[in-house]
Amino acid sequence: MTNKSNNGFNTWQKSFEKETKKNLSDAKSETDEGIDIKPVYTKDDLENFSFVENNSLPGQWPYTRGPKASMYTNRPWTIRQYAGFSTAEESNEFYKKNLESGQKGLSVAFDLPTHRGYDSDDDLVMGDVGKAGVAIDTVEDMKILFNNIPLDQMSVSMTMNGAVLPVLASFIVAGEEQGVDRSLLSGTIQNDILKEFMVRNTYIYPPEPSMKIVADIIEFTSKEMPKFNSISISGYHMQEAGADNVLELAYTLADGMEYVRAAMSKGLDVDDFAPRLSFFFAIGTDFFMEIAKLRAARTLWAKIMKDFGAKKERSLILRTHCQTSGVSLTEKDPYNNIIRTSYEALSAILGGTQSLHTNSFDEAIALPTDESARIARNTQLILQNETGVTKTVDPLAGSYFVENLTDELSKKAWDIITEIEELGGMTKAVKAGVPKLKIEESATKKQAKVDSGSRVVVGVNKYKNPKEPSVDVRVIDNNRVRDDQIKKIQSVKDSRETKAVEKALENVTNAAKDEKNLLIPCIEAIKLRATVGEVSKALEQVYGRHFAKSLSVSGVYGKHFEGDKDFMNVEKKVIDFENTNGRRPRVLVVKIGQDGHDRGAKIVATSFADMGFDVDMGPLFQSPKDVAKDAIENDVHAIGVSTLAAGHKTLVPELMKALSNIDPKSKIIVFVGGIIPEQDYEFLYKNNVSAIFGPGSNIIECAEKVIDLISDNLSKE
Amino acid sequence: MELIENIQKGERAAIAKAITLVESSKDSDQQISRQLISELIKKPGKSIRIGFSGPPGVGKSTFIESFGSYLVTQNYKLGILAIDPSSQITGGSILGDKTRMVEISKNPNTFIRSTPSRGALGGISMGTREASIILDAAGYDFIFIETVGVGQSEIVASNLVDIFTLIVGPGSGDELQGIKKGITEYADIFIVNKNDGELKIEASKTAADYKSALSYYKKLDELEKQVLLVSAIKQTGMEDVIKTINQIVDQNKQKGIFEERRADQLEYWIEEEVKNIIASDITKRLSSKGNISKYSEKVMKNEISMYEAVETITKDTLK
Ligand code: B12
Ligand SMILES: Nc1nc2c(ncn2[C@@H]2O[C@H](COP(=O)(O)OP(=O)(O)OP(=O)(O)O)[C@@H](O)[C@H]2O)c(=O)[nH]1
Ligand SMILES: [Mg+2]
Repeated sequence: MTNKSNNGFNTWQKSFEKETKKNLSDAKSETDEGIDIKPVYTKDDLENFSFVENNSLPGQWPYTRGPKASMYTNRPWTIRQYAGFSTAEESNEFYKKNLESGQKGLSVAFDLPTHRGYDSDDDLVMGDVGKAGVAIDTVEDMKILFNNIPLDQMSVSMTMNGAVLPVLASFIVAGEEQGVDRSLLSGTIQNDILKEFMVRNTYIYPPEPSMKIVADIIEFTSKEMPKFNSISISGYHMQEAGADNVLELAYTLADGMEYVRAAMSKGLDVDDFAPRLSFFFAIGTDFFMEIAKLRAARTLWAKIMKDFGAKKERSLILRTHCQTSGVSLTEKDPYNNIIRTSYEALSAILGGTQSLHTNSFDEAIALPTDESARIARNTQLILQNETGVTKTVDPLAGSYFVENLTDELSKKAWDIITEIEELGGMTKAVKAGVPKLKIEESATKKQAKVDSGSRVVVGVNKYKNPKEPSVDVRVIDNNRVRDDQIKKIQSVKDSRETKAVEKALENVTNAAKDEKNLLIPCIEAIKLRATVGEVSKALEQVYGRHFAKSLSVSGVYGKHFEGDKDFMNVEKKVIDFENTNGRRPRVLVVKIGQDGHDRGAKIVATSFADMGFDVDMGPLFQSPKDVAKDAIENDVHAIGVSTLAAGHKTLVPELMKALSNIDPKSKIIVFVGGIIPEQDYEFLYKNNVSAIFGPGSNIIECAEKVIDLISDNLSKE
Repeated sequence: MELIENIQKGERAAIAKAITLVESSKDSDQQISRQLISELIKKPGKSIRIGFSGPPGVGKSTFIESFGSYLVTQNYKLGILAIDPSSQITGGSILGDKTRMVEISKNPNTFIRSTPSRGALGGISMGTREASIILDAAGYDFIFIETVGVGQSEIVASNLVDIFTLIVGPGSGDELQGIKKGITEYADIFIVNKNDGELKIEASKTAADYKSALSYYKKLDELEKQVLLVSAIKQTGMEDVIKTINQIVDQNKQKGIFEERRADQLEYWIEEEVKNIIASDITKRLSSKGNISKYSEKVMKNEISMYEAVETITKDTLK
């Protein structure tokens, strides 16, 4: 007898409808993913599953309940905090302190010049050295980074994708020079280029050669580095860029399939490398959804790998790292972030992650301080040591709701995966730009929900703190870091054998031409003290540098505000402006330097356009000079600089200079949005910035202020 | 005017401000703009104006980036007017052309201006013709005008330029049936883009299709229309494009076609301006008299016929 037909359910339904004064059928709530959540789930909801198998066990097909039989009861997840800043010396100190305080694995954050294959002395990266990660120019830096950290014992994760060849080569050589054979190195290299083109934006070469590089690394590590994960297939960045959980899940697994094919096309057997594929997901605020996502990911991957013909059990098992969501954290009332991160961490644990990073409460302000990093780490230590969550494997198994949600999510993701496969796979889709647009659409919807108040963010659009606390921030003097790095590069260059280095770099170029495995000549070049930038350029000679074409969504933001008073007020202001000035307010929205955070810029651009502005969208990686030329030629009224990677104190004054160099009488006003610590406001205002819009800004309010400032400025003429 | 001097000196900000004036919908701006254009037009520069049109996504912007980069390395100065098709219901737009012309937009020998089309006919916005006169006065060797080609628009666009180029993609031969005769009259060069990788065979086939179709429609006294194969992404075929352009310009100049076209375009422009003025005048009169609603009421009540109403209103308006 099913539940629905039994009397108990009917009685419950009556009571429910009486209490809520609603029909049960109307009492659903829709998630971002478009899944209807019912107010109650029953035994009936465990039936007719497409993917989930009801009686499965942990460590067994289809691995929904976890990759291992014992999970945390035997060994808890690895506390792996992502960190890196300034010089190798400073980051090394920071790592050692963290390891002493209970952290178990390392995870290196490189700075943006390193990510994009530029040495610290390159003019293009003036504002970015050491700012958002650690600067690594040569193997000497890499050796310093792991000074007194034995690489045969410490597992090291490295987020590196664009410049993956010289950086992985440096790691291998640093190990060797510590006396550790490469076969003993353990850890993970991210090496996931597809999501770079979609959302993370630290690509260097075009998609095809980039995919070849990925495959080369899988090939090399599968033969020579048996303890090292050759790739970390990442959905995390997609969610951070705005993807809902279905998109994150589907695109990540579809990426994974593409990498499997790339590796197989090198003649590798699937079981030779599949056990060393690893994954990375974000854990946001939707508590049960995130748990279901990790369970669904394992379930689907097992099926996918079986279809690829994998025979070894380890090839079928998805192992993952997780990071709590940074984008759910706010600049306003920042201590709330500790609470958000705790719930997210619990979600990740109940979902069965293998390792975890928890964010610091100053996430939306700057890189963490020693103090905020300690609290973030303790979030996990408390979970492991005080709450008892490690004592049972997959405690939510059998939950009517969670099992049902796991299957729902799997089905939705599978539909998208099937669609992508039919269209020819993820590389093709990425080149056409479709996944990126879908993610931007989802991000824009989320922004509209927050700006319209239909989604509550405590301390931002409701329950605001009347007395915002001021918090300490980590300050990095990028000029000092840059000077230090330049000196170190010089001394390496002075003591190396120039001829041999040139020859080695030529070999790298030739290997690219001859389509040979590239990691081998890169290791040789790095050993001889070629720099990360030099190796990247040697490859660039053959592959060129990739420039992304940017598409934009339109109408998504405006649609949420039909009939909204504030929105219509701005629309009217725009029309009035046009009537007075003969054209619409025209704003150039730009990113400057190597900062690839484009979510905010894209959302602001499309929202402003929806309100009637003419918005010029600059490409990524412009120099201040490029921006000034663009702004003046298009005679824009204002430039909106979106800056999140802490380059603002160098790049904004440079932009002002560039503007007046081209046109000393320029009337173009400049405003700045993104991550700007309060401490820097005065500096920016002194440099003639007209307004600053920090995280959590309501875009309709931004637009109104911008149009008022432009009008004021014009009336001064 | 100081503005004129500064334009002639090639000052970026002056050129940009002048283009704003000619695009402006404000009466006072339009007056200055007329003076400005009247002055500039007296001393034409040496610019060759080239139109690039084609269906969305064939690679116009990529081609312009690629061909433009080639030209600037040959020390040409290049002005680009990109008419961005992305207009919205609200009237706002996102102008993303620069993201497709990254390299060339950095070059000091280029000037790139994007304009929202706001749905104007032919994807040509108000002021495009005037903007090219300004760039000409500022000393640019080539002026590129990029428009999205949708049916009729070629005619409008081709009236602004000395050479009109249609960019098409591999496998577009079928569409030729639809375009047929009209196209041969407006386009001087056909560029089949994406002649690379897997698309190469298809591209060659398309080029052959175009060639045979074009020779079929060729008038006796006309020059042979050129069909070129390029890859914007791989930057191949660019020398052919510039060679062909130079050839056509030389030939047209020799035969007097070049000047003839410019004269025709002037005629067309004058006609257009006159029509615009008359049309806006009539619109004003119509709305001030309120005849339309008055008479349509009568039609509704069956007091007079539809055509009687039209005749009466017309007579009264033109009085
Ligand atoms: C999302 C995110 C990412 C995504 C980016 C996806 C994408 N395509 O944008 C991913 C995961 C890829 C990522 C990667 C990295 N990130 Co990140 N990231 C964030 C995060 C969590 C949120 C940013 C965001 O998108 N918010 C949502 C948007 C809508 O908000 P917003 O951009 O702030 O815009 C709003 C306002 O600021 C304002 N605004 C912004 N711009 C403009 C412009 C105009 C014209 C106007 C009017 C208004 C305006 O209005 C918007 C609406 O409210 C922030 C921390 C945080 N919570 O802010 C870190 C953060 C920016 N990241 C950081 C770092 C270090 C990185 C990395 C460099 C790490 C590394 N070493 O590898 C990488 C490299 C990325 C790169 N290529 O540059 C640091 C920067 C440190 C600093 N400034 O000192 C931060 C602050 C986190 C931290 N505390 O460590 N990141
Ligand atoms: N294979 C190949 N693809 C190309 C080539 N040129 C452009 N593309 C691709 O075609 C797509 C469209 O290119 P755009 O330059 O934006 O096309 P467009 O005609 O300017 O498009 P709209 O301005 O939107 O009308 C992009 O994905 C380009 O990468 C080429 O020579 N070869
Ligand atoms: Mg275009």
